Amino acid sequence: MTTSQTRKQFSMKLLAVALAGAFGSAHAQEADITDLTKPSSTVAVGGGFVSGDEKDRSLFSQYNGLREHDAFFLLDFDFLRRNDATGTWMSFYGRNLGLDSRELRAQWDRQGAWKIFGEYWELTRHYPRTINSSLQGSTSTSQIVTLLPAVGTGQDLNLQLDRKRSTVGGEWWFGKNWMFEASFINEDKDGSRIFGRGFTCPSGAAPSPICTPMASGVNQWAILMLPEAVDSRTQQWEAKVNYLGEKLTVQAGYWGSFYDNHNGAMTATINGNLNNPLGHPMGQDGSIPLTAGLRNILQLPTALPPDNEANQFYVSGTYGFSPTTRATFKYAYTRAEQHDDFVSNGLTNAPAGVSNYGGRVDTNLFQAGIVSRPWSKLTLNANYRYEDREDKSPLALYNIEGTNRFVNGTYSLKKNAGKLEGSYLFPGAVRGTLGVDYEQLNRGQFESPECLQLENADCIGDSIAGITALRSETRELTYRGELRRSLSEDITGWIVLSHSDRQGDSWLKPAALPATGSIPVSDQEIFNRTGIFPMIFMDRKRDKVKAQAEWSPSEKLSLQFTLENGRDDYSAPTTKGLSTTEVKTAGIDATYAINDAWKASAYYTFNEQGVNVAHSTGYIIKYRDRNETMGVNVRGRVSPKFQMGADLLWINDRNIYDQTLDGSASTTNVQFFAQSGGLPDVVWRDTRLNVYGLYALQKNADIRVDVIYDKQKLDEWTWNTFVYSDNTTVTLKPDQNVTFVGVRYVYRFK
Amino acid sequence: MRSLRNVLHGLAAAAGFAILFNVGFALAADPPAAPKKDAVLRGDAKCTRCHDETEDYPVLAIGKTRHGTVADGRTPSCTNCHGESDTHINKPEGATERPAPDRVYRGARRSPSAKLNEACLTCHQADAKRSHWEGSQHWNADVACTNCHQIHTQHDAVRDKLTQPEVCFACHKEQRTQIQKPSRHPIPEGKMGCSDCHNPHGSVGPKLMKRDSVNDTCYTCHMEKRGPFVHTHEPVAEDCGNCHNPHGTVVENLLKVRPPMLCHQCHTPHGAQVGQIAGQGQPSSLLSGTTSGKSGINYFMARGCLNCHTQIHGTNNPSTTNPTPQFNFR
Repeated sequence: MTTSQTRKQFSMKLLAVALAGAFGSAHAQEADITDLTKPSSTVAVGGGFVSGDEKDRSLFSQYNGLREHDAFFLLDFDFLRRNDATGTWMSFYGRNLGLDSRELRAQWDRQGAWKIFGEYWELTRHYPRTINSSLQGSTSTSQIVTLLPAVGTGQDLNLQLDRKRSTVGGEWWFGKNWMFEASFINEDKDGSRIFGRGFTCPSGAAPSPICTPMASGVNQWAILMLPEAVDSRTQQWEAKVNYLGEKLTVQAGYWGSFYDNHNGAMTATINGNLNNPLGHPMGQDGSIPLTAGLRNILQLPTALPPDNEANQFYVSGTYGFSPTTRATFKYAYTRAEQHDDFVSNGLTNAPAGVSNYGGRVDTNLFQAGIVSRPWSKLTLNANYRYEDREDKSPLALYNIEGTNRFVNGTYSLKKNAGKLEGSYLFPGAVRGTLGVDYEQLNRGQFESPECLQLENADCIGDSIAGITALRSETRELTYRGELRRSLSEDITGWIVLSHSDRQGDSWLKPAALPATGSIPVSDQEIFNRTGIFPMIFMDRKRDKVKAQAEWSPSEKLSLQFTLENGRDDYSAPTTKGLSTTEVKTAGIDATYAINDAWKASAYYTFNEQGVNVAHSTGYIIKYRDRNETMGVNVRGRVSPKFQMGADLLWINDRNIYDQTLDGSASTTNVQFFAQSGGLPDVVWRDTRLNVYGLYALQKNADIRVDVIYDKQKLDEWTWNTFVYSDNTTVTLKPDQNVTFVGVRYVYRFK
Repeated sequence: MRSLRNVLHGLAAAAGFAILFNVGFALAADPPAAPKKDAVLRGDAKCTRCHDETEDYPVLAIGKTRHGTVADGRTPSCTNCHGESDTHINKPEGATERPAPDRVYRGARRSPSAKLNEACLTCHQADAKRSHWEGSQHWNADVACTNCHQIHTQHDAVRDKLTQPEVCFACHKEQRTQIQKPSRHPIPEGKMGCSDCHNPHGSVGPKLMKRDSVNDTCYTCHMEKRGPFVHTHEPVAEDCGNCHNPHGTVVENLLKVRPPMLCHQCHTPHGAQVGQIAGQGQPSSLLSGTTSGKSGINYFMARGCLNCHTQIHGTNNPSTTNPTPQFNFR
């Protein structure tokens, strides 16, 4: 707390008192005090200009509404009124009203009695890349693909998604301890997003004669960029009753969420031929013209997300046994359902007698926790959480490949998680904490997978085929230790160390097709160099250390240091797949009060995240996302009328794809790798400078000028040489420079 | 005219004297003993006789806030939060330095977080949004309410989506960089705040998720990913965080790692070739008019594995016609 006695600073109240004394007016004093204590309102109106064209600012303006035009109307306001006699507030708030990221909110409430509010919110996300294509109907569900005569000769498509959200809600207190809350959110989403379609013939998933038989070694494939047309609505209803007593608080409520997609499926019509892998029309270079088989597959409907809903009922709360012991609890039952009709969405060939999926997932969640301070220096904390996600969707034979038959992919999961920890306050204001966490995930369905029982026949078709290995249960135990010193005069800090060990039951091997079920096997039996061992089932050892310290060598300067190092080691009966992940962070933050008028802060953070993956081909990638971030912020008062500030942000991010080959790599791959040098790094750099100045025209009005300069570089190989089978390309200007200038008149009033 | 000038001179002199007198008086060693009128809150006179609108910490601005709404009988006085602080108000004789108030919120003499939070929870415990504060990660990390919230200001930065992330980044450094990356949520633009996904006051979900699980939280905006689908992708149904980093990445769609490396963490069957980029001078054995679609180029470039496996979140296509959508082709 700052006081006028201990800190010799300019006191506005003292001045008010002095002036009041000078002019002998108690009213003047009260007016000034009122000025300092009454909610204030502002309105800011002006214009903004942004440099370059849409491609120069596609990264900068993904979300901020500054993409499509060069000049903008800027309007923000924050109107706040309080009736001091009744405690009734009225507020209107508007931000970015001249941009397509506008939002408005109105609220009327009496504290502790009632509240009603309404919000309107818009957001447009512009896809930063430009698509050059001959595609017709790019924002519809029926698209027509025609091979462009040459790359870059099509029309430019800029994909965008518009979200418009409206919210209304309120709360009412009734009685001393009861409150009712309700809200409704409606969000409409329109536009399109990047999507696609691809297939290769021949394919095991499309046995002969579906993919036209070809001579040995002759393949045919196509990859198409087809934007997904989006036209959907989400709605959320929530109503809850709260009992807020001294010892007991309980919240009982309902939350319903509903998704309504106006687009059920999308199809593409392919006019004429497409290109072969060399970028020449199919039929050249030993290939054959686009076959009817592949064309038909590419023209099959693609299902878009189905309408669905979830309804949840819950009870949650807390109970204080004593001032030092408190319990928390929650129970929630959720039913998620999906009954979208197949045929009316343009999706045919469903299993006989099945008109919609009839999907249903019931989830029961229970949580209980207790925190106690049996004596002032010791704190105990225990928590238990149980979640049972049961997929009750009916089974049907949705996939028939010759004699192999599969049902739909239901997925049930049970989670048990517990935590126990104790902390003790040692002399020297050092608090030590020891904790144990336990998590058990049970996917029992893998042990005895559901299959379809037909009358007078064996149980047929389950959904687990196609995966090398499964596990019905994994268990993870974590030990944590923490030391925290938070009350020192000039140095505070903490360090946390943790070690986790995840293990599981025996691996399960799916029975050989067409049989159903799974068989427990030893690691030696299931060892498979190239198999699928999902990382969520693998054994894992996790070690982590994290520390932070704050040091204030003087009243003006404070420093903060951050360090983190973590590593996960995965293991399964394979030499491929995920082996390790790593994270390293180091950073320093500094704040400095230059004088009473100027303050500065700066920071530097280094972060690296790594993933080591091995593939059956024989390559190993040590992927690293390495970045450095630096920021400098300055705020100050140049003169009594002029304030200014500047924020500099610099980020240098490099994705490193460090490839090596192991002994299983083919001679072709070894030779090509030696010649190509592997995959280059992907580099992203951002340098951004925000400068603002605020000049006081009068006591309650300012002119504010904002200048933003942003320079970004994104050099990535993902798209820049890739050409789709119809000569469609997706490009991004790799070096982008943009300057924004905004000038606003800011008026404050009460 | 002369008499008017004399009157003005007289008034000016009186004003100057009054200013000097008042300022001098106010800066004198001890505050005046006479009873003062409350400036903002009920019973605040004992504090506001000394503490006022200093430039770097304007205490009177609490009057602009919800706490300063005196008509609401539940709102506090200074001492409800800062303690009665008798020795601070009446400096003991012989003491060289004025003792601190009972609760000190900032600076070297800051009180323990539990003691500070006790003051807030006296009223705010009875709030469903904070029902799971005790035992939560922030509670365990000794976070005080005032580490994040500013009480004596009309604009509490952490309650505004535009300024909230900066408050969170005081501790969460990794996310400070991630939210700026090319593939991200609209956090720097203030269209989303950290609290749109996290409840910093404690929740039943992991990572202080606002809803009961990571997926339930994501579904509030991305309900199209919920299904249930005819063909499910198990890691998707389990945790969106298996593949996505919601704070931001350089890879499209906030993916943690670029496909196919992301997918190869579990799946290794496809691809007989090392990773390739078009135009690297592939020999005809790797790139010809008839090479397979499962080539090094096709699963490393563009959307990677998703070039063909487009419905990676699951598909509701019921078709039993080959190729069936089981492998999320369509």
